[in-house]
Amino acid sequence: MRETRLWSLHILVIPVIAVLLGMHFAVQHYAPVFYGMSVEKARDFATMIERGRSTAQFVVYILLLAAGLYHGLYGTRGIIRELPLSPAMAKVVDWGILTVGVLIFALGAYVTWWTFVHPGV
Amino acid sequence: MTDTKQITFRIRRYDPDLDTIPHWEEHKLNVPDGMTVLEALQEIKAEQAPTLAWRSSCRMGVCGSCGMFINHLPMLACQTQVLHLGTDVVTVAPLPNYDNVKDLVPNLEPLIQKHAAIKPFIILTNSKEIDEPTGEFIQTPEQRDEYSQFTFCIKCGLCLAACPTVATDPLFLGPQALAQAYRYTVDNRDCGLQERLEAIDAFHGPYQCHMAGACSQACPKGVDPAFGIQLLKRTLVLDSIGFGKKKSSVAKVMPLADIVKQIEEFAPPPRTVGK
Repeated sequence: MRETRLWSLHILVIPVIAVLLGMHFAVQHYAPVFYGMSVEKARDFATMIERGRSTAQFVVYILLLAAGLYHGLYGTRGIIRELPLSPAMAKVVDWGILTVGVLIFALGAYVTWWTFVHPGV
Repeated sequence: MTDTKQITFRIRRYDPDLDTIPHWEEHKLNVPDGMTVLEALQEIKAEQAPTLAWRSSCRMGVCGSCGMFINHLPMLACQTQVLHLGTDVVTVAPLPNYDNVKDLVPNLEPLIQKHAAIKPFIILTNSKEIDEPTGEFIQTPEQRDEYSQFTFCIKCGLCLAACPTVATDPLFLGPQALAQAYRYTVDNRDCGLQERLEAIDAFHGPYQCHMAGACSQACPKGVDPAFGIQLLKRTLVLDSIGFGKKKSSVAKVMPLADIVKQIEEFAPPPRTVGK
C-alpha cells in the first residue's frame, strides 16, 4: 500500500481516538460528573460487565481498540524502521508489526465480545 | 589601514592515508573586517597548513561547494564572515551526516544519489511532443510562482547536514531531494508524479520528516525545503484520494501560429513623434 495512505490513516484516526477516549474517560473516570455515580462504583467489576453488554459500548471499544492500535503501531514501526535496517529486515519489521497488531486486536475484540454476550454477574 | 583581530581557527583534520581518526589543529590568524572563512582557510593553507583540503569554487555563494560545519552550524564558508561569528575561536569541521573524504571535504554522493532518485527533470508522457514539438509550453507567472523558490537550490548539501532525521536514518531522502520532488511535480509542464511515486511515496519519503525545520534555517538560498516537504505531503495525499491536480498526458502547448500572433501583439507602439 502507498505510504501516503498509511500515513493519512494514522493522522485521520487521531480525532477518532480523541472522541472515543473522551467517551471512555467520561464513563470510566468522570462518572461522578456525567452520571452522578461514584468512581468506585463506575469501576466496579459488576458495573463494567453490565456496561459491556450495551451495543454502544461494544462498538465504541472495538473502534477505540482498532484506532489506538493502528496509531500506536504505525508510530512504533516508524521508530524501528528509522534504524539502519536491510530491506529484508525492514519487511520483517513491517510484517511483525502487522502480526502483533492483528493478534492484539483479536484478543481485545474477543474480550469485548465476551463481555458483550456475557449474561452478567 | 583596516583593523584586524586575532582569531584562533580550530580545524578538524583527517587524512585517510595517515590518520585512523580525525584530530584538531589550531591556527592563529589576524582577520580583517570582511574576511570570509573561505579566505581565512586560503590564508592558513598558504602560510601554515599547506596540506589542508577543502572544496570550493565560485566564492560567491552560487556553486554550493564550500559547505562546512562552522562553529557547529552548517554554512557556506564563502558567505560567512569570520568577525560576524562573534567568537575568538572559530571551529571548522566537515559537514556532518556525510562520510569524510579528507579534512573539510565531505562525500556528497548520497546527496546526488537521492537527488537523482526523485527524477529531477520535467517528465512528459507525450513522446511525440518531445521529438516533434508543435509549439511552446504555456506557463503563466502564477504557475511559475508555485515552484519558483525551490529552483534556487544550489545542491550545497547543508540541509542534509542540518537534518536530524538524516542523522538517524541515512536512507531518508532528505530535504533537498524532497523539495526538488515538489518543485518538479507541481510544475504544470510535468506529468511525472506517478513515475516519482516509487521513490517519494515510500517509508523513507516525506513522512519521515520530523519537522525540525533545521534544513530551512541552514539553507543559504532561502529555499525553505521544510515547507517544500509539507507541500509535497499535501500533493501526495490529494493524489492518493483522487483529488490531485489532473494533468493531461499531452502537455499543453501554444500553437506556433499563436506565438507569432502574440509576438505581433507585443510589437512596439507606433511612433507618435517624428512621423
